[in-house]
Amino acid sequence: MKRRTFLKLSAVGGAGAALAGCGHQAEQLIRFIPDETLIPGVATWKSGVCAQCSAGCGMQVRVMQGDAEVFRDGQFGVVKMGLAKKLAGNPDHPVSRGKLCVRGEAGLQVTFNPDRIKHPLKRTGLRGAGQFTQISWDEAVQELLAHLQPLAAPQAAVSLAFLTRPLGGQRGVLVERFLSGFDGARLVPFELFDDAVLRTANRRSFGYEQLPTFDLAHCSYVISFGADFLGTWNSPVAQSVGYGTLRQNRSGIRGKFVQVEPRMSQTGANADEWVAAHPGTEGLLALGIAHVLLKEHFGHAEATGSAGMQIDGWREGLPEYSPEAIAWKTGVAPETTTRLAHEIAAQSPALAVVGGAPLAHTNGMFTALAVNALNALLDSVGKPGGLQFTPRPPLSTSGSAQDISEEGKVDSIRTLAQQILSGQRPIELLLLYEANPVFATPPGWQVREALEKVPFIASFGTFIDETSRLADLILPDHSSLESWIDAAPESGAAEAVISVAPPAMRPLHDTRALPDLLLDLARRLGGRTRQALPWKSYEEMLQAALAPLAHHPGSVSAKDSDEFWKKVQEQGGWWSTDASLVPKAKAPADSSRPMKNQEPQFAGPAAEYPFYFLPYASQPFFDGRHANLPWMQEMPEVLSTGMWGTWVEINARTAATLQIEQGDLLEVASPNGKVRAPALLSPGIAPDVIAMPAGQGHEDYGRYASGRGANPIKILAPQVEPTTGSLAWAGTRVNITKVGKGELVLLTGGPTEWGAEKVTR
Amino acid sequence: MAHRWAMVIDLDRCTGCETCMAACHAENNIATVDAKQAARGRAMHWIHVERYWEGEFPNVRARFQPVLCQQCDAAPCEPVCPTYAAYHNEDGLNAQVYNRCIGTRYCANACPYTARYFNWWNPVWDKPLQLQLNPDVSVREAGIMEKCTFCNQRIVATEIQAKAENREVQDGEVKPACVQSCPTTAMVFGDLDDPNSQVSRLARSMRATTLLSELGTNPKVIYLERESSHGND
Ligand code: SF4
Ligand code: SF4
Repeated sequence: MKRRTFLKLSAVGGAGAALAGCGHQAEQLIRFIPDETLIPGVATWKSGVCAQCSAGCGMQVRVMQGDAEVFRDGQFGVVKMGLAKKLAGNPDHPVSRGKLCVRGEAGLQVTFNPDRIKHPLKRTGLRGAGQFTQISWDEAVQELLAHLQPLAAPQAAVSLAFLTRPLGGQRGVLVERFLSGFDGARLVPFELFDDAVLRTANRRSFGYEQLPTFDLAHCSYVISFGADFLGTWNSPVAQSVGYGTLRQNRSGIRGKFVQVEPRMSQTGANADEWVAAHPGTEGLLALGIAHVLLKEHFGHAEATGSAGMQIDGWREGLPEYSPEAIAWKTGVAPETTTRLAHEIAAQSPALAVVGGAPLAHTNGMFTALAVNALNALLDSVGKPGGLQFTPRPPLSTSGSAQDISEEGKVDSIRTLAQQILSGQRPIELLLLYEANPVFATPPGWQVREALEKVPFIASFGTFIDETSRLADLILPDHSSLESWIDAAPESGAAEAVISVAPPAMRPLHDTRALPDLLLDLARRLGGRTRQALPWKSYEEMLQAALAPLAHHPGSVSAKDSDEFWKKVQEQGGWWSTDASLVPKAKAPADSSRPMKNQEPQFAGPAAEYPFYFLPYASQPFFDGRHANLPWMQEMPEVLSTGMWGTWVEINARTAATLQIEQGDLLEVASPNGKVRAPALLSPGIAPDVIAMPAGQGHEDYGRYASGRGANPIKILAPQVEPTTGSLAWAGTRVNITKVGKGELVLLTGGPTEWGAEKVTR
Repeated sequence: MAHRWAMVIDLDRCTGCETCMAACHAENNIATVDAKQAARGRAMHWIHVERYWEGEFPNVRARFQPVLCQQCDAAPCEPVCPTYAAYHNEDGLNAQVYNRCIGTRYCANACPYTARYFNWWNPVWDKPLQLQLNPDVSVREAGIMEKCTFCNQRIVATEIQAKAENREVQDGEVKPACVQSCPTTAMVFGDLDDPNSQVSRLARSMRATTLLSELGTNPKVIYLERESSHGND
């Protein structure tokens, strides 16, 4: 779809002229003739893809005609155009099945956010001071080209890095191809709550470096170790859809659900049984259960393939992990472990899930491998009611940015920062896209300091945040509703899926879609970059990538490639109906030796820092990216009912002992820093754990988020899970001090409500 | 043809995910107040999820219950309104005529479910957030009481569509925004006058209850109680 074709400028009418004068001469309001076929007052539902997280849920966008003040062809004006009014899940989509999550529903407020960057910007003040001036796209592109050109020369001594949120689908492929034109270029995907530990563990256990897909709808018994699978983890919509059926819908069957975690999450609140094992001991509990099962000859150690072989002592029946032996470490009574094992054995199909905090310890890999081994023993892999791995769609280019990790061109932000600061790797130019590591990494990683040393930073993101604030040049992207958008869901469906949708509406501001901008840059750069990216537009690239799917049994049948492409757009993607399209398992790495139990390491001596510190993914804000949406700020987090802020969750009894009352301002101190937030007394947290939701405490992230709440990530120790280098965000200890009175904004009161009678009768 | 629109909410499916709340905001042009007003209890959530704690650590549980206007057959909010802004329409819904409302707030005081929300200020949408507003739903001003309408605009649109096609509204055809969005399908909407509708069938469940039923308000929101598969109880 060409933007130009829609710009049919009409004469300045009387009404338009009368509306002029919003102060700016340049902002004269001009009426454009719309070329929309929309009928006023009648809604159309168009296909879409949710871009609020990596799950890749297929959407529908309700579009209606409206008057919008926009920027077109160098002028501001009012146009009649299709405007997105409501988002909903796409009922045909195998991942979302007609549903979204709470954050997905709020995606509208990204497009219409008043704090969006509306045109290209160039830094004027000191770096990081947040002073920018508006420039034209020509200037912006010229300036970026001037920085790219020397790096595109063969054997350039210095290089560039592309720091981005993890990009799935063809956007990821495009960026990867773009980088292939620069020697030594690094791709640096960053996300606070990454799942690298689980992906790696799944490769070792099962041969798939991928997040698992759960068949909850056919499951009878689920034990989840710390995974917030109904809230913020993996593919929450797909998992919630399955959960509904797990509980009700199958006559006579109601699946049981047990959650293991030291702080009750939204997911854990739904469990039939909630087990508060000590932080970092979840793997022990999984092996304690496996010990009982092996001892009682439920399943065979030998039949578990490489998953069992990852665990030291597996063949011998895990002699070191008897319920009695692990009890003093896990805090779970031996009878409970034994009973859980018996329940699991009695209720097939049973499934174990692991994710989130248990894997964010220094021993996260052991925990993941332990739960994987338990799943293998339960024979839940690849079975109905168990877990499986979503096949990849057979696209013409490799479908996932992860695929290139093997070529060794991918760095973590931690490595990049180290290399910049040590002078090991000269990075001349940093390209930045919707990743905010300055906000979401522990200060000990020195990301801010490292980025400040990079001579030139160009950002493509939609908002100013703590990281993009450091940019010298900003070339803002369209919003996801204004762009061609695609995703290749890693999990959440039994079949191969690719989500694709054309723009649901035209852009509001003077922005350019990142993929098309990169294609344009490649064209101008020529040489290798151009060869790697021969397409004229992103639409053309998408169409080419999906072309082979026309010959596979799938959701779209068409007589020719044009019709195929049209139908893919209408449907919001393509999904396989080919049962023979099974995922290819890579042979598990045999070099890795069986793992022994490893104690989790915590930063901060227990005597000085008596509490385990648990930052957690926030229901409305996830890792903080949604804190700039007013709907999410006023959305009460369901367990605390807290809005517009951050709080420190503390066990009510512990608080009473320390004479801390609801709302008291607490200082939470780790060896690495301090934050302050009001106390929230809860019965759903272990007495030795202090928890804080992530996502607030932004210094610079628009009018709704800036200067609000506190950022728990800023006091984390720079601990990592050693095999992946992922942040061990649950591996810090803290102490607390009452420092005054704080302010809690709660929807409903806290402690007075406890023990409330059920209201229904 | 008149209907008796009702909603069933299965508390055994509801996970407290709050998707329904965000969907309701988007559909019904509900204003965001701000931190200060929210702290005074003025946040407007036509549907919100109540959380009840039971027990003490470690034997603690939380229960969730989405609460919206219960669309009572014997609605305490209606007789107290001096201007008939709160009234019963022919589909049995508790409707609110915004331009009759003079802001006495009697209805909110009378509602035992605290399901009514008062506009203390004119709503603000920082430009261009207002472009998202749903033209099918009127925007309320300061001094007006508002609440869940069962997405009446969707009911009306579906009825008009069915009439134009010379047919009855199908069971499940009307989906309020919350029902449409709920990932676990905890919510079902339909006609209680149709004994074969899904809501009618679910309303006959052994688990069916209503909120504060002892008050005799006869709500048209029916809850199905959460079950438990206890291993240790
Ligand atoms: S899980 Fe939620 S945020 Fe993520 S893609 Fe799906 S609807 Fe969007
Ligand atoms: S959307 Fe459904 S599951 Fe989520 S809180 Fe609302 S009723 Fe419960």
